[in-house]
Amino acid sequence: MAHEDRAFYDQLADRGVTRRDFLKFCGSVAAMLGLSEAMVPTVASAVEAAAASTLTPAVWLDGGLCTGCTESTAQGTTPDVAQIVLDILSMNYMETIMYATGDSAEAALKDTVEKFKGKFIMVYEGAVMTGFDGNALRVAGKPGLDQIREVAPNAAAIIAVGSCAVDGGWVKANPNPAGGMGIQEFLKQEKIETPVINLPTCPVNPEWIVAMVVDVLFLGKLASGQILKELDEFNRPKVIFGQTIHDNCPRRGHFENGEFVYEFGSPEEAKGYCLYAVGCKGPQTYTNCPIVRWNDKASWCVESGSPCIGCGDFNWVDQNAPFLNRFRQIGIGDYKQTGGYVPGNVAALAGGVVAGALVVHGLGMKAAGRIGEGPATEDMKDYDRKRMKKGGDK
Amino acid sequence: MATPNVVIDPLTRIEGHMRVECEVENGVIKDAWVSGTLFRGMEQVLKGRAPSDAFYVAQRICGVCPISHGHASTMSAEAAMGVTIPNGARIVRNIIEAAQFLHSHILWFYTLAALDYIDPGKALEANIADTYALAQAAGTTTSNFKAVQDKLAGLVAGGQLSIFSNGWFNHPAYAQDMPPELALIGVAHYLEALEMQAEASRVIAIMGGKFPHFMTSLPGGTAWVPTEEKIDDILFRLLKVRDFVNNTMIPDTLAIAPFYKDALSYGGGHGNFLSWGVFNRESLEMKDRYMPEGAVFAGALKVESANPDSIKEYVKHSWFADSDGDKNPAQGSTNPVWTDYDVNNKYTWAKAPRYDGKPMEAGPLSRMLVAYLKGVEPVKKIVDLTLGKLGAAGKPEVLVSLLGRVAARNLETAVVAEWSIEWVNELIAALKGGDVKFFEASEPSKGSGAGMWEAPRGALGHWMSIEDGRISNYQICTPSTWNIGGRDDQGVTGVIEQALIGAPCIDPERPMEAARIARSFDP
Repeated sequence: MAHEDRAFYDQLADRGVTRRDFLKFCGSVAAMLGLSEAMVPTVASAVEAAAASTLTPAVWLDGGLCTGCTESTAQGTTPDVAQIVLDILSMNYMETIMYATGDSAEAALKDTVEKFKGKFIMVYEGAVMTGFDGNALRVAGKPGLDQIREVAPNAAAIIAVGSCAVDGGWVKANPNPAGGMGIQEFLKQEKIETPVINLPTCPVNPEWIVAMVVDVLFLGKLASGQILKELDEFNRPKVIFGQTIHDNCPRRGHFENGEFVYEFGSPEEAKGYCLYAVGCKGPQTYTNCPIVRWNDKASWCVESGSPCIGCGDFNWVDQNAPFLNRFRQIGIGDYKQTGGYVPGNVAALAGGVVAGALVVHGLGMKAAGRIGEGPATEDMKDYDRKRMKKGGDK
Repeated sequence: MATPNVVIDPLTRIEGHMRVECEVENGVIKDAWVSGTLFRGMEQVLKGRAPSDAFYVAQRICGVCPISHGHASTMSAEAAMGVTIPNGARIVRNIIEAAQFLHSHILWFYTLAALDYIDPGKALEANIADTYALAQAAGTTTSNFKAVQDKLAGLVAGGQLSIFSNGWFNHPAYAQDMPPELALIGVAHYLEALEMQAEASRVIAIMGGKFPHFMTSLPGGTAWVPTEEKIDDILFRLLKVRDFVNNTMIPDTLAIAPFYKDALSYGGGHGNFLSWGVFNRESLEMKDRYMPEGAVFAGALKVESANPDSIKEYVKHSWFADSDGDKNPAQGSTNPVWTDYDVNNKYTWAKAPRYDGKPMEAGPLSRMLVAYLKGVEPVKKIVDLTLGKLGAAGKPEVLVSLLGRVAARNLETAVVAEWSIEWVNELIAALKGGDVKFFEASEPSKGSGAGMWEAPRGALGHWMSIEDGRISNYQICTPSTWNIGGRDDQGVTGVIEQALIGAPCIDPERPMEAARIARSFDP
């Protein structure tokens, strides 16, 4: 072991972290990034090198938000939020947890932008609020848009966390009462060319933020430009948003068997059958939730018995509602997503098993309870029909 | 010419966006204006959607208390549809809600509020051996105090203070007689609390899929079905959190509070308190909740029953159309109109709700006072113990203050922690007894209903009207609307505004006391 290594592991030991713990962490980072076991030592040395250097400056700006993405980030454990903001980044501005307040907080932001021009990371949470001449959100006595205009052009890169930052999220849902917008679209309007990395879902999963931190800081992918090559056409990291939930779902076997939950609280639900029939948007939603799961891998939506509502989709609230209705057509395999809109010809591409499942479960329906655009959903489920035949509710 | 007002904008370490403006004279706050500086329009977004979708969307109004919003929304839908949830679903919801209370209160005290009472810079001066001795004497848990101090020293040596950048170190409003060792204990527990709030939210994730924003308490019951391997995950996590609350959070509160006894004498405000009650018993009745409903008015410590029909919202000083004013939320409307920021005219995106015409404080202080006055046993016990430690035995009225509000939230945490264990055991007993129903199907067509509930930060109501199977109107009155709402049409100040008036402001450049009071509401 080299001399530097010893110092690094001594430091870890002081903090109660064993070398074994550390390598385990590097292993999970490597797995997150889709790297093989053989890459673990490379990740480890990248982390060590980063630890030896000074902290990278970062600022976290709050737009039209619910604070859920900050909250979600605080639920991560490897690293936890304290390690992120004390050991990895110097988070010089982050409204929800920073010590300073008011003018002192704004001064910390200004100092960072001036001192680290072109070198700091900007994280953006919440929708960009353009409504009421930008007064739907006021920060420090001015429209919140001014803060973006002052900070964004000077950042090395912008990480948009959560669906609101990516494309306006629920805030932009019809009728978009406050002029919500994603940060990338706003920057385009403003002709600000700082690169944006989009991390959708509502809220963002902290595992994905950590993956970006590792990419940018430890593996040097921002400096090398590599990170931008690893994004899809919507600026999402392919490694995270390249496959559907359906692709990796532990309930997929039941889908293949045609075993579905038709009603919550039913015996089928107790058996953990597929939730597609109660509206699961897993087949259309491109995230790796089934792999990374949520809250330190405690669970995730489908595991807890809920259908996916597609919060990682673009324009998800208009696109995927009513959430408990099945989509008429489902996408399987490697089709192109067009800003979250499922193309009409997907059913034609779907394989025999899927097409079979669709036919078996009879899907002749129309859009209902939706506002704005989206693919067709059914308006009534089989079990409803049966109950109505029996003279049930009406 | 008068001196310019003291302004805090943005107020940090809260959930959302808020501005505080104060008129200060001779070191005392004479007048105050509180502005909610963000409008998103959730109520408009929900109109026209399927009633079952409201649960998923409405909870996204708040990333810190989505569980309470989800429950209030679902309850309004259930009331509108006339569906009664099975007993098992009631117990499951109580446990999820309790886990969120634990999460939120721990996060508030340590991550958001503690830096207002503990100067982290002082922790560098602490003697390590003395810190262990002090922790033992205070009856609180010990940590690796050396490592924590080294971490802080490392930040300072590195030249970048990260989240501590530009903080109000050495502020004269910090208790000058607080030993640096207590500051180091505070910083160490600040870091440990991050793990504990995450542990509480893992309970929500197991039962609800994830946190923030959960997936299972949909109208009719819960989509989560308890199984053996999940029940132990929940029980033992809650036991761990309860132990932290009892062995660390409560002793820390009792160790720090005596240094801020002056905060018993200001920050109380109007002295009106409102709670809709939270945590249902088998009857599902609002009048029969573990944490009871009630309204308390200034001048007399007695409780009246709380009635949602007594609410009206006013907009003379808010950026909404006049037609939105003077309405009960059941008939409420939302038509934003931007003018300009002017404290003499319109200055906030929050409506001003009133109860029988009076501004009412929402939050743990309201709940704990109502419960104390109604004789709820675990509440009486822990409040009386605390009053004794503060030299105010038999004087619950001292709780109507800044320090009382801080203490009430932490004491409530201990009460809810104990109840959460009780409810897991209740769930186990129900399963043993064959109570395995968790969902009741329903068909929305027409109707209207309200979900009156409590978020960790206070009284919450959702109102839903359904026509032709779609939401025809939706209104929300959040606890922060009660607390941060500004002046009403009669010019009467809002809750935080009034709490600020009369409080000290010893350094107008760094208005620490004002920030403390505003944060004590966890807005």
